[in-house]
Amino acid sequence: MSIGAAEIFQGGAGGFDVVEASEEIAARSPLQLFWRRLRRDRVAMVSLGFVVFLVIVALAAPLIVKILGLPGPYVQNLNLTDEFGSPLGPSGAHPFGVDQLGQDVMSRVIYGTRVSLEVGIVGTAIATVIGVSFGIVAGYYRGWVDTLLSRTVDVVLSIPVLLLGLGIGAACAVRGCLGGTISPGTSVIIFLIALVNWTYIFRIVRGLVLSLREREFVDAARALGASNSRIMFREILPNLVAPVIVYATLLIPLNILLEASLSFLGVGVRPPTASWGQMIAAATPIFNTAWWYMTFPGLALLFTVLAFNLLGDGLRDALNPRTAR
Amino acid sequence: MRSLRTIVAAAVAGALVLALAACGSSSSTSSSSASANGSIPAGVLTPATESLTGGKKGGTLNVVQTEDFEHLDPGQSYFSLDYDIMEATQRQLYSYKPNTFSEATPDLAEAPPQLSNGNKLITIQIRKGVHFSPPVNREVTAADEVYAIDRIANPNVANPYYLGYLGAVEGMKTAKGGPIAGVKATGKYTLQLKLTEPQAPIVVASMVLYWTAPVPQEYAKKFDAQKPSEYGNNQVATGPYMLKASSSGKVLGIGYVPGKSATLVRNPNWVASTDYRPAYLDQVNISIGGDPNVIGRQVLEGSHMVQSDTPAAPILKLADQQHRSQLQITPGSGSRYIAINNTDGPFKNVNLRKAFWAATDREALDKLRGGKLVTDIQTHFLWTGVPGFEEAGGAAGPKVDYNENAQGDIAVAEKYMKLAGYPSGKYTGSETVQIVGDSSPPANNVAEAVNQTLKNLGFKTKLNLVEHTVMYSKYCGVVTEKIDVCPNVGWVADFGDPQALLDVPFNGNLIVKNGTNSNWGLVNHPKINAAMEAAAKVVGVKARGEAWAKIDEELVNEAVAVPYEWSKEPEIESKDVAGVGKLWNIGDWSYSFTSLK
Repeated sequence: MSIGAAEIFQGGAGGFDVVEASEEIAARSPLQLFWRRLRRDRVAMVSLGFVVFLVIVALAAPLIVKILGLPGPYVQNLNLTDEFGSPLGPSGAHPFGVDQLGQDVMSRVIYGTRVSLEVGIVGTAIATVIGVSFGIVAGYYRGWVDTLLSRTVDVVLSIPVLLLGLGIGAACAVRGCLGGTISPGTSVIIFLIALVNWTYIFRIVRGLVLSLREREFVDAARALGASNSRIMFREILPNLVAPVIVYATLLIPLNILLEASLSFLGVGVRPPTASWGQMIAAATPIFNTAWWYMTFPGLALLFTVLAFNLLGDGLRDALNPRTAR
Repeated sequence: MRSLRTIVAAAVAGALVLALAACGSSSSTSSSSASANGSIPAGVLTPATESLTGGKKGGTLNVVQTEDFEHLDPGQSYFSLDYDIMEATQRQLYSYKPNTFSEATPDLAEAPPQLSNGNKLITIQIRKGVHFSPPVNREVTAADEVYAIDRIANPNVANPYYLGYLGAVEGMKTAKGGPIAGVKATGKYTLQLKLTEPQAPIVVASMVLYWTAPVPQEYAKKFDAQKPSEYGNNQVATGPYMLKASSSGKVLGIGYVPGKSATLVRNPNWVASTDYRPAYLDQVNISIGGDPNVIGRQVLEGSHMVQSDTPAAPILKLADQQHRSQLQITPGSGSRYIAINNTDGPFKNVNLRKAFWAATDREALDKLRGGKLVTDIQTHFLWTGVPGFEEAGGAAGPKVDYNENAQGDIAVAEKYMKLAGYPSGKYTGSETVQIVGDSSPPANNVAEAVNQTLKNLGFKTKLNLVEHTVMYSKYCGVVTEKIDVCPNVGWVADFGDPQALLDVPFNGNLIVKNGTNSNWGLVNHPKINAAMEAAAKVVGVKARGEAWAKIDEELVNEAVAVPYEWSKEPEIESKDVAGVGKLWNIGDWSYSFTSLK
């Protein structure tokens, strides 16, 4: 990969630090270049830091709760509600207050990170794998394969996801559907996310592949006798990594919001599992008297979505400097 | 809470209630009122003590309610909010004054019914001088009662309870809306009901419900021919008020706009001398919908307003702390318990049921439902104000160890777990307990607390929260679903009689296998079933109370369910409203007794 002069001088003071620049030219891999650009984006770095923090919180939730001296997320203590059953607010022992069941809100917010990240990351990963696979196939083969997959995408995109979620929630609530295979919970949310979001990835990948398949390196591979699958997944796929990463990163917050929405509507994760959307729903009727119950999971959701969005923007700029703001 | 009566409707079966039975011969009905024993905080109003006279005439009352009405046809209505309208607009044969749940008063009837032919013939004299509202305008006769009774069997009217109460009326079981052989007007003002079995007391008792509100055939027939009947949308009144209507009698879109409003105006044909209702108000404007926190505050801080459904918890707290004189509490408004499957699953074992009862923190569950202001800790199945309550143990309840500690007693629970065959004191079986609860607050919190209780006892659980109506209609009320635990079921009675409280929910002979069942725990113990059949035939308030108290004791001994809440229904009013609540309708405001200060 070549680097233009403008970039050589970008880090130096008016281009005087030539020796250092030339050393950097020699040492940089594409990954290093990407990292260098990303590092300069302070907003993206803060967001990345927050995302890493979230991942650590999710993985080490039991340990963190223990270190902070909080009760577990499912420990009910009605002594922490007043005579009317209204929950008590933030205190030293319960920094985020408690809910109607006397459960510690901070502890539940920490555990709620697990659900949000699980749904956001796993759902997006599945959608990405499906979308990329079908997108490459459609863009590479074109013709009836492309038509079939593209029309399928049109059909899938016409499915109202929230209504489908509500429908599954209503129809499969207790015994499940299809012999218990489908029942409300994390797996159904991940399924819904994958069902809808692969289509967006598909369209992006298909468009890129339609262009890439006409490039010389593909012709060269074909001339060398490479199979179609090798061309698609060994030659073309690496060129899709950057846009796919960017788009997937931007999908994660959308999926976290979708999980929160479905949980808010009562068809998400099953109680007593802690979920931010479910907590916000439960807090709605008592917001006037228990502001903390909605505020803290709401803030957690806000900052998480914001962090993923800003990180996605940063990744896009770093991976494709021509689109930089 | 409000829809509990709808639930009862689905399962009313067989013999019920004899509160009015004595009307025909004596005054032996109970004089106790449901509020006599409930715990009411100082300064709070309660229907039993509110004045029924001396109100100021005139003015417009503004009513707010978040829920809509269900059915405004007297032949179909069976919901507390619907009853608010019915009480002001319709006159049934017998009715309760607001301050009683056990003493019925002749209303459209001139006098108590005459029972003859070994309780197989009922004769009732209709009051003269009662007129229908416009556009019918004429006097009510016995023929209007005959048509009102005929039409409840009309599938287009879809009355939910008539077979449960009136199955003994000759021809009723096969009726489809046409004339019923056993229902006749033998004179202009004389109504006769002929029965095939000696069940006159039950039929008479049910006459406080609105199936006995008269309906003019010549006017209503064309509406009843439609499916569903349109009579409710074109109804005429006999009470002091009527839903505002067009000159042709059309109510829909004028006096009642679904989801938005209802307007009650004076019935110009109502004659005060024929009625015990004072009807102080000139008009009642009902607004439907809105945020309960907003409308509740409007009522407490506003003027000439009442809220007719249950105030939100924060509003209730505000009312108790700052507006106590504007708060009314009605005890004896029902009960809530955890239904446990007595027939299938792990809880077939009585000791596991006792362990569950012992481990349940009923105080905590009541706190989740709003605390002491709106609940009393339930210790057995009969409730305050109903004959047999004291005999069954009163507020303290039966002396059994699993009922002693309302906060739950894990040591006692472990004792019964061991007796059930689990030496560690924890459940080690393989069965997963299926719990189905109500997804709306505060019921969902109760369900989660119950779920935790079972987990503490070692059970593996699967908790599902669904909509209130779905909980009953698809799961807890369906025998084949075999749900192990339904933590949010509740019961209200149509009459202040112990049989009305215990028979349908706990009599195994009344389990409805194909349809909506209200014996949610599939309680089916032959000894208890037989005792109920015998107690149903007992006559006299005291004797019935004693008989059903013994059944209550048996139900506790078998731990057929875990009772946790005797409900007290709260209502709120503005400072300048002299509200009168109806004890018999979970404290809902009576528009024909309420006045403005």
